[in-house]
Amino acid sequence: MLVCGIDVGSRNVSTTILLDGAILSNCVITSSEEGATIARKVVIEALAKTEFKFTDIECTVATGCGRNSVPFANRQSTEVVCQAKGAFHLFPDARIVINLGAESSRVMRLNSEGKVVAFTKNDKCAAGSGLFLETMSQLLAIPLESMGELSLKADGCEEVSSICAVFAESEVISHIHKGVPKQYILVGIHKAVTTKIMELLGLVGVNKDIILTGGVAKNQAIVHELEQKIGANVFVAPEPQIVGALGAALIAQETIQDRGMPSVKRL
Amino acid sequence: MLEEFENYRVAHHQEAKDWKSKTGGKVLGTLCCNVPEEIIHAAGMLPVRLLGEHEPTTEADLHLPTNLCPYCKSWFDQVLKGKYDYLDGMVIPNVCNIIKASYGFSKYLFKLSYVHFVDIPQSISPEGVEFFAKNIMDFKKSIEDFSGKPISDKALRHSIDVYNENRTLLDKMYTLRKKYPSVLSGSEAQSVVISSMLMPKEEHNRLLSRLIKDMEKSDKALEKRVSLFVSASILDDTDFFKLIEECGGNVVTDDMPMGSRYFYGLVDSKDEPLHALAERYLTKIACPRKMLPADRLAFSVSRMEGANINGTIIHSMRACDPHLYEYPLLRQEMEKQGLPVLFFRGEETATEREQQKSDIEAFIEMLQDQME
Repeated sequence: MLVCGIDVGSRNVSTTILLDGAILSNCVITSSEEGATIARKVVIEALAKTEFKFTDIECTVATGCGRNSVPFANRQSTEVVCQAKGAFHLFPDARIVINLGAESSRVMRLNSEGKVVAFTKNDKCAAGSGLFLETMSQLLAIPLESMGELSLKADGCEEVSSICAVFAESEVISHIHKGVPKQYILVGIHKAVTTKIMELLGLVGVNKDIILTGGVAKNQAIVHELEQKIGANVFVAPEPQIVGALGAALIAQETIQDRGMPSVKRL
Repeated sequence: MLEEFENYRVAHHQEAKDWKSKTGGKVLGTLCCNVPEEIIHAAGMLPVRLLGEHEPTTEADLHLPTNLCPYCKSWFDQVLKGKYDYLDGMVIPNVCNIIKASYGFSKYLFKLSYVHFVDIPQSISPEGVEFFAKNIMDFKKSIEDFSGKPISDKALRHSIDVYNENRTLLDKMYTLRKKYPSVLSGSEAQSVVISSMLMPKEEHNRLLSRLIKDMEKSDKALEKRVSLFVSASILDDTDFFKLIEECGGNVVTDDMPMGSRYFYGLVDSKDEPLHALAERYLTKIACPRKMLPADRLAFSVSRMEGANINGTIIHSMRACDPHLYEYPLLRQEMEKQGLPVLFFRGEETATEREQQKSDIEAFIEMLQDQME
């Protein structure tokens, strides 16, 4: 059974292809292209590493904010359900899933069957999102990928407002002008982001067995700050950007099983 | 049948103008469900609830700060844009701070010949009822002075009967809808309630009696949808309920001023009219501005009786203090009832719809998943 999950996010488009329940291939593309074009492109790229072709896919489920722009999807599912499903598949003990995407931060509480029982997401404020980190990376002229590592090496901190991304930006500029070491500012930025995440966690109830997904989960300083604030380990999905697509692919698989459709023959 | 309510709601400005030219009567704008409309009705005038629009508040922004209740800012903007140019006056109750303050700017900015402030006690008590009854008497006198005609006891008792009939019918409609949600959707029910705040009551009673008969006879097949309870501060059109329906849900009952709070509780027709009005308007309208939390929560929970609810959506306008302060308690109460909660801070703008849609879709998918 060959199924596909696609997560059309606001920054990245990712896909996971499952073959008989096991991950066959993944792909993540950063693009601002139109949803339909990029969705097809990401699946073709993921399949290029395999012996299958596009038409072999029996069922596709799309998720993410652009889920309705995937013309070949058989159905759509929301990010909340897909992120939770993907995380629960990877970590069957997961009870809290924190998904940190480019524009949205979500926290889901799961029951022992992996079903979402409560969720919350960031309000209209971008202070806890990936785009906030990206803006800060440009301001400080530090590559996004190095932010976490540099921050962890810092021996001091310069506070950054956690209230508003725009105000935080002017604060950071003023710190730069004053000659504050950049790594100190980075610590402040990461503390600000995690403060916003802690507010969301507080709304759904902090618990143990916390899984982190989404692109921001790649930032080790965020993970470290969260662990400090929560006082417990936070587990990061091995490929945090594909967890939503994995959840969507799992739903595609369940959809076929519910319909009793036969599995595709291997080529 | 339902189109008659909806068409009236959508074209309410023109309908009010037509009513004026047909009857020669006066139209008074009102705010909030705490204004005893029976007094206006008994004077032969038409009370209409002021509504906002999902459009930029370009005129209101010239006068008011940005951090105000978006609903109040929006109706204020509509008045300034001339949409309510047919109004002969306004009646402003002492409810939340912004509505109370709107007495001032209505009196001095709108240049209406009649603007009356109805003071309402801050808490519910027998003394409060007496105080309120005196204020309603002042309100009656002020309307009599404005119209130049006294309001007879007979006319007031008749108006009380007409309004009580409307409340009884709306309550019946809600009971039927809770039992058979497919017969009348949430947005349709809301259209009926809002049109009641705009239409002459006798006409609304006539249409509503017919609608209820149709509902009782209806054999519409039961459609499986996620059933929701909505508690809201102000939803002054049907867009939010329609959005919920687009996402696969349906509101089967509510606790909101432009919903069940508007018609809950009858005026005692055997009592002295002004005292009876004070009693009903002060003690029965479950507004967080005057009702203590325990009673508010009990009222909210009682709205769900007889309905099979899967989840709750709480919607409060940004900066609506009475409702926002109540939110944590309400959320706790709903969770105690075993109902997952989704919360929104509304903006009364068209642009908030996409974000709301994405959250409602996720909430409904979560509930469907739990129901499986």
